[in-house]
Amino acid sequence: MKGLAPLFLGIFGTFAFSWVGLTVLPNWQMGHLNPQSDEEGTDIYPQPQSGMFERGARVYAANGCIYCHSQQVRPAYAAADIERKWGDRRSAPRDYIFERPVFLGKMRMGQDLANIGAHASAEQASPAPTGAAPPGGSPSGGTSPAASPAPQGGAPAAASPAAKQSPNPSPATQGASPGLAGSPATASSPATAAAASPGASPGSSSPPAGAPPPGPKTGLASPSPAAAANATPGGVTAPSSGSQTAGPPWPIQTIGEPPMYSAAWHHVHLYSPRSINFDSNMPAYRFLYKKRRISDARSAEALQLTGSDAPPEGWEVVPTYDAKCLVAYMMALNQSHPLSEARSAGGAPPAAASPAVSPGPSAAGSPAPAK
Amino acid sequence: MNEEPKEPARVGQGMDYGEQADVQQVHAAVQREKREPRVGAEPLSIWLIAIYGLAIFFGGAYLGRYSGNFSSGGLDPMGAPPPAKKAVAGPAGGEQAAELSPHDRGKKVFSANCQTCHQANGQGVPGQYPPLAGSEFTTGGSRRMGMIVLKGLQGPVKVKGQQYGTAVMQPWDKTLTDKQIADVMTYERSEWGNSASPLTPEQIAALRKELANHPESFTEHDILAAPDEDLSGGAPAGGAPAKPGEASKPGEPPKPHG
Amino acid sequence: MNATGIPLKEPSVSAAAGATEQLERAYIDASTRVPVLMFYTSAMAWLILGTLLAGFVSFKLHEPDLLSNISFLTWGRVRPAHMNVMVYGWASMAGIGTAIWLMARLCRTVLRYPLLLLAGACFWNLGVLLGVCGILLGDSTGYQWLEFPGYAAIILFVAYTLVVSWAVLMFRYRRGEQIYITQWYLLGAFLWFPWLYAAGQLMLFVVPVQGVLQSAVGWWYANNLLFLWFGAIALGTAYYMIPKVIGRPVYSYHLATIGFWTYALFSSWTGMQRLVDGPFPAWMITASIAAMILAMIPVATVGLNHHMTMQGYFPLMRYSPTLRFTVFGAMSYTVFSVVGLLISLRSVAGYVNFTQTSIAYSHLGLYAFFTMVIFGAMYYIVPRLVGREWRYASLIKLHFWASAYGIGLMTLMLLAGGFLQGADMENPTLPFSETVETVLPYLRGRSLAGILLTAAHFIFAYHFGLMLLGLGRTSTVPTFLNPVEAEETSGGH
Repeated sequence: MKGLAPLFLGIFGTFAFSWVGLTVLPNWQMGHLNPQSDEEGTDIYPQPQSGMFERGARVYAANGCIYCHSQQVRPAYAAADIERKWGDRRSAPRDYIFERPVFLGKMRMGQDLANIGAHASAEQASPAPTGAAPPGGSPSGGTSPAASPAPQGGAPAAASPAAKQSPNPSPATQGASPGLAGSPATASSPATAAAASPGASPGSSSPPAGAPPPGPKTGLASPSPAAAANATPGGVTAPSSGSQTAGPPWPIQTIGEPPMYSAAWHHVHLYSPRSINFDSNMPAYRFLYKKRRISDARSAEALQLTGSDAPPEGWEVVPTYDAKCLVAYMMALNQSHPLSEARSAGGAPPAAASPAVSPGPSAAGSPAPAK
Repeated sequence: MNEEPKEPARVGQGMDYGEQADVQQVHAAVQREKREPRVGAEPLSIWLIAIYGLAIFFGGAYLGRYSGNFSSGGLDPMGAPPPAKKAVAGPAGGEQAAELSPHDRGKKVFSANCQTCHQANGQGVPGQYPPLAGSEFTTGGSRRMGMIVLKGLQGPVKVKGQQYGTAVMQPWDKTLTDKQIADVMTYERSEWGNSASPLTPEQIAALRKELANHPESFTEHDILAAPDEDLSGGAPAGGAPAKPGEASKPGEPPKPHG
Repeated sequence: MNATGIPLKEPSVSAAAGATEQLERAYIDASTRVPVLMFYTSAMAWLILGTLLAGFVSFKLHEPDLLSNISFLTWGRVRPAHMNVMVYGWASMAGIGTAIWLMARLCRTVLRYPLLLLAGACFWNLGVLLGVCGILLGDSTGYQWLEFPGYAAIILFVAYTLVVSWAVLMFRYRRGEQIYITQWYLLGAFLWFPWLYAAGQLMLFVVPVQGVLQSAVGWWYANNLLFLWFGAIALGTAYYMIPKVIGRPVYSYHLATIGFWTYALFSSWTGMQRLVDGPFPAWMITASIAAMILAMIPVATVGLNHHMTMQGYFPLMRYSPTLRFTVFGAMSYTVFSVVGLLISLRSVAGYVNFTQTSIAYSHLGLYAFFTMVIFGAMYYIVPRLVGREWRYASLIKLHFWASAYGIGLMTLMLLAGGFLQGADMENPTLPFSETVETVLPYLRGRSLAGILLTAAHFIFAYHFGLMLLGLGRTSTVPTFLNPVEAEETSGGH
């Protein structure tokens, strides 16, 4: 090749083509999405998060959670994400407009986290028991920051999406929980839990031997007022939950686990993943927790640890601020709000069983025949 | 192949820069090296051109088939038409919403703004957030309720015989429009077994004007000091949720109370 | 004295390298000695560090409790540290070192302004060091391939500016009208990288784009770094080394032209295929998949060009280390592209997206293709810089086989594991933990492959160290891998 000019021009031209085509043009086309709202400007989704959420996202980035966990639900015609109950609709660009950085992820050595906050039980999502609970041994005591990110957001309009979702009990989310979680603690009603428990067993075949099957778990849980409130149809906290007394609501000697995907559960899971899921491949993040001597009373934030993980007598393990932010971040990950552009994708191809539209039957029915 | 220079005079001399600094003593590696690469000029083979054609064909076909119409909303690669309803309330969405009754619109406003505290079943949270279901403020005259919604409430308050007071209700006059407040109040007054009169935006507008100079939240004392009456200009008390037509009927001009 | 600084007349045009041309090269090699060795030595140090980190990452993936209580050794920090050390420490520095030497050789002028390069190398090392420490201390940005925190990124950019301004200056002093194929690729790489890096940094950190577009920019950056930076350097190097070692012209100028321009045009459009079925407008992803299909044009063209150049000379791979590594790398380019295409087609990607296959793909590109070509180039260049021959043919052989088997095994393990993992993931009746269990044996196999690669790198580093210390052989014949029969000595190495 002779002459530098054509070479230079070509080198610049080809790259400019790609730069404009794959970054500038998309930015022009969809780089300025607005939140979705209805006619009155209410029911806004998504809403900006702040405070602990942002810091939690930084902790998420710093510790490389993205290398094993994705945060995107693929459409039903392409993948089994929706059948795996990672969400009841596909993710859409609008879901992420307030996130920075965006952790779409490229690897699933762990579960998808796009909707991890939506799987939390209603008790955790609602701010009610947090404030009402005495600072004793309530399981939600340690989760107060996580359970109510709304105050950080400022206006009550920015209430946590999880909370917003709870009074609108779509059978999809509620029914989905047992299958994915393998724990009926998140089921909306005892009836649903009972119906779903056979379906839940494939999802929960991993708990260590000796752990009771999900069905009995519900029974054990029932004495707990929190769990009872949990089971109220609609996921609404019953008035009685405010009067719960101190003491672990969960029979520690039997299970020792807080409700699946609750903030307390996340803390125990981060501290000791294999105490919750024997097969887990996740490293423990103990450096996000402090072991300290109990000064006067056991802190409300202290983790409920069992077995070899439990701190010695007179000691307790409490989350650092980073750990609390990380859990608050996860509890706010929730794409369960409907989006008009993502709805159409569900039923498009013939193969899809349109789970986005009617997840109820599939949640109750499809896992049941398995095993 | 036999291009290697044969210059025995130099071979074996200047192998090592470390020992002989004179660069003129050419390094053996350089000596035996072939000359700099050149380029031949073989023509393209027909097979290669066929491969080009195939790649361009399949690439183009793939792009055409899975382009999703090149639209920003076309998440589906099969090019399904983008949803008719625009994400941000478009004309189609507007029509739908227009058909909603004030009660249904109020329900949306409620779920977006109120139910975090007062809960979807209107029961509130014991000790913290007072209930709306059966509450004397909700089911009573719309004036007291409107004052609370517009300007907020703080301090202890007694509802249905229970004492509340740890939480503060924020004023909504900055956040919500007259119509939204009227809708949500209409909803609250006719839901959960409540059956009080619906509200119109005009009533709220009048009350808003009236309270414009009231700076901060009311206390229970302020509220109880106000008359337990309906705002003027509304539908008769105890009525069912208004029909869409009725709700948008302009009320009488507001008459500020002394 | 002419513009080159070499007191010689224009070189002869004969086929054989004339005496003047030899002397000219000796001058050029001597002038590149310090900067290139500096880049190479730094790169070797990063390679060793990156290898250790890689082993750690690989073992921790199936032994999650290993040292997990130390915050800066947690898996999620060591993994990006490993990747960035390899990408910016080893691959970029070794690539720049090779590119400097090739530029000087092909511009046929002694290296000017060596201080620019020395400063560039220092800043580059500083940037990588700060960046890696930042990642380990929890300062990662969270964007894959761009994890270095801002302060490290700025230093890297300064370092790069120094290097690229040197490259442009060198081009001004070049002799001869012809611009050889290698120079196209190197010039492209030198000019694409700053644009790419600046665009990535600006659109992600300075004026961040909205939402998912950040991921789009991130993967566009990562793939273009792979293709237009590493790929371009490796292809340019292969275009030099293969004809150089066998002493035969490149097969076809036309093929080279088509190969270069289609490469620039199509591979720069890839990247979004890694986000198949993600929350993006379908056209973006499809455009990248179509670009992957169209990128088969340069693959076929460049592959054919290299193959036809090599035809009849393949036996030389028995003797020449350079040729053996380079041809392995050039062949891996084809494998890399074909695998990349297969795993990005929508029907396949539905299975293998989010599995270990994407790790296999990255390693194919960065190791089997780029690193092997650069190893070959280093076997060629280093003796010319230090004035000694490689000391042990056996070590070179060991290095080659450990590297080749290591990366082959690693790729197979990750591809097979990834496909099974993906198939499990698509079966919603299987609990998720079983998808992980499925892939664990393959990850252990990957760790085994990692041991091979680690051995290869330590052998090479030891050998390289010997050369640096002047402990190489003093000889007139290069270090052949196998004893050469009389009639085959023409494999001038």
